[in-house]
Amino acid sequence: MDTPLIVLEKLTKVYSTGAEDVYALRGISLQIRANEFVAIMGPSGSGKSTLLHILGCLDSPTSGRYLFRGRDVSQLNDDELARIRNREIGFVFQAFNLLPRATALKNVELPLIYAGVPAEERRQRARAALEAVGLGDRLSHRPNELSGGQRQRVAIARALVIRPSLILADEPTGNLDTASGQEIMRLFSELWSQGNTIVLVTHEEYIARYAQRIIRLRDGRVESDTPNPEPLSVLVTAEDSHDIAGNS
Amino acid sequence: MTLPEIREAVSVALEAIRLNFFRSLLTTIGIAIGTLFVCLMAWLLYGLDTSLNRTIASLGSDMLYADKWDWTGRTRWTEVRSRKDITYWQARAVIEGLRTAEFAVPLVWARGARISAGPITTTDAVVTGTLSLYGKTPSGTTAAGRFFSLAEDRSATPVAVLGYKVAQQLFPKQNPLGKLLHIAGIPFTVIGVVEQQGTIFSSFEDEQIFIPLPMFVRLFGLTKRSFVIAVKAGSEERLELVRHELRGVMRRVRGLAPEAPDDFSINEAQAFREQIAGLRQAVWGTGISMSMLSFVVGIIGIVNIMFVSVAERTYEIGLRKAVGARRRSIALQFLIESALLCLVGASAALAIGNAIALLVRAAIPGTGEFLTPYIPPHHMGIALVVASTAGIIAGWAPAMRAARLHPIVALRHE
Ligand SMILES: Nc1ncnc2c1ncn2[C@@H]1O[C@H](COP(=O)(O)OP(=O)(O)OP(=O)(O)O)[C@@H](O)[C@H]1O
Ligand SMILES: [Mg+2]
Repeated sequence: MDTPLIVLEKLTKVYSTGAEDVYALRGISLQIRANEFVAIMGPSGSGKSTLLHILGCLDSPTSGRYLFRGRDVSQLNDDELARIRNREIGFVFQAFNLLPRATALKNVELPLIYAGVPAEERRQRARAALEAVGLGDRLSHRPNELSGGQRQRVAIARALVIRPSLILADEPTGNLDTASGQEIMRLFSELWSQGNTIVLVTHEEYIARYAQRIIRLRDGRVESDTPNPEPLSVLVTAEDSHDIAGNS
Repeated sequence: MTLPEIREAVSVALEAIRLNFFRSLLTTIGIAIGTLFVCLMAWLLYGLDTSLNRTIASLGSDMLYADKWDWTGRTRWTEVRSRKDITYWQARAVIEGLRTAEFAVPLVWARGARISAGPITTTDAVVTGTLSLYGKTPSGTTAAGRFFSLAEDRSATPVAVLGYKVAQQLFPKQNPLGKLLHIAGIPFTVIGVVEQQGTIFSSFEDEQIFIPLPMFVRLFGLTKRSFVIAVKAGSEERLELVRHELRGVMRRVRGLAPEAPDDFSINEAQAFREQIAGLRQAVWGTGISMSMLSFVVGIIGIVNIMFVSVAERTYEIGLRKAVGARRRSIALQFLIESALLCLVGASAALAIGNAIALLVRAAIPGTGEFLTPYIPPHHMGIALVVASTAGIIAGWAPAMRAARLHPIVALRHE
């Protein structure tokens, strides 16, 4: 386990939208090891989402190298990237992104369908993942029958169900009230303590304090990359985290 | 592509159709009409062919008929009309001159004779004079009783063998065997009834009364009648050989100069095939062009609605791609949807087509003889394959657009 999980070398991303090019990333070099919990912060437009999409193989960089588990994935085609997303990376979006007409169970099964997992095993694994995020009693609920926090848990279960080597989350608490946000963060914290690698984008300092390391972006560049020696633990109580939220 | 992916594609496609059921039904009308045309065309042609094959079988596929008249209608009418009759003596000379044929037998017809049986009188039947050998051809095969014998032939016994329709007309609901019948005032005993032969192409066969040729001569005389020589080749492989000889013998007997064209025709049952080739082509042409038109219109409609479907579900496509759906999984989902759309239309068309088949048969008398009360099953199969192929063609461009969507771009869409 000596090779880092993620190695980025001079990664750039340029969006060409007709009139002018937008330089979203201007040369990012960094490494992330297995079982790290990283928070990415930075002002709006600094390139956080762009970076996370590339990390999640949802997009390709314009130049530079991206080694994922030692393999250069920066030049892979659509289907090869799809395979990595399907087998290795669990992605959680700000807007939950669930199929509106499908039950929680069906939503969590979705990646397994594309992995070719047979129905019976699919259901078992999806149920286990939903139980792991505390939704064992909501299997047949549809997204519109769930609260925002519960929806985000379904999305996290969907990320977990493939047993990913990397979990990515783009402002997973952005659409939630503080209490629900705290619950989600405790869940991430717990997943991290179980050995998962997590990279999470956030605007909020108190969210970032759950992470072990904080990377700040500005104008598509890494502004700072600092360890957080005392990440908030799973054991922090709800009142404590409210205080933290209130103080930040 | 794995089984779970394929099942997912099918269930997504089914759900998409179910959610927009009326829209789906409307867009599929073009395909339905196209399918209907194809099916009705196939049904008509199937009926024609069935009838044609029955005609050919009843005339005998190894039979040649040397006649003044051309059955195909290919020789000019004025030319045929100017041909001289084939006389009894010519017919005899030809029959005696043939070496390669299994046998040959003369035929001669008289129309308009007054025929009566008990209270029933008719002048519609055709009296046919021939020899006992004719009983060995397919058109002389009896369904009841027997054909007349060589002895009855020779001794000019007044016996008659009836065509199917004549038997029904003269002896309704009775067994005609052994009954008496008057032809031009002369009594005949009915000894046999020939199998039903008529089809839409010719009902003439069933309207004949066969009597021994000497009796015919006694009743109607020999002049002003053209004989036909029915020649049984023995097998279809021998047809060419026998035809060649028959032609030579005919020319010699008719005394034709080497450079003169034939003043007779050698007909065969296959001639009917040529006769309806035009009809077949007309049915085909109409059916194919109408259905092509409908299919084109139908496909355009489906392409359109599939693009709408892709646009409506862009977000869902983005989500599926984000969790690892490959291009082919997404493409398959939409191809199945458009193929299913077309299958729905085609199935409706098959139901309507079968209803039409039933109705036409019930409503138009005579059609029951050659049309089936259903669309031939293998044609229904073909129609379904064609319709789903049309669906796949129609769905192709939209499916490719869906498959190539960028997951992030698609997820932002809403
Ligand atoms: N698809 C796109 N086309 C053109 N420009 C884009 C596109 N996506 C992002 N950008 C531009 O790239 C830059 C970085 O965007 P990005 O979404 O990564 O920022 P962000 O840090 O996530 O911001 P926020 O905190 O508001 O989510 C921005 O200037 C943005 O306008
Ligand atoms: Mg963002």
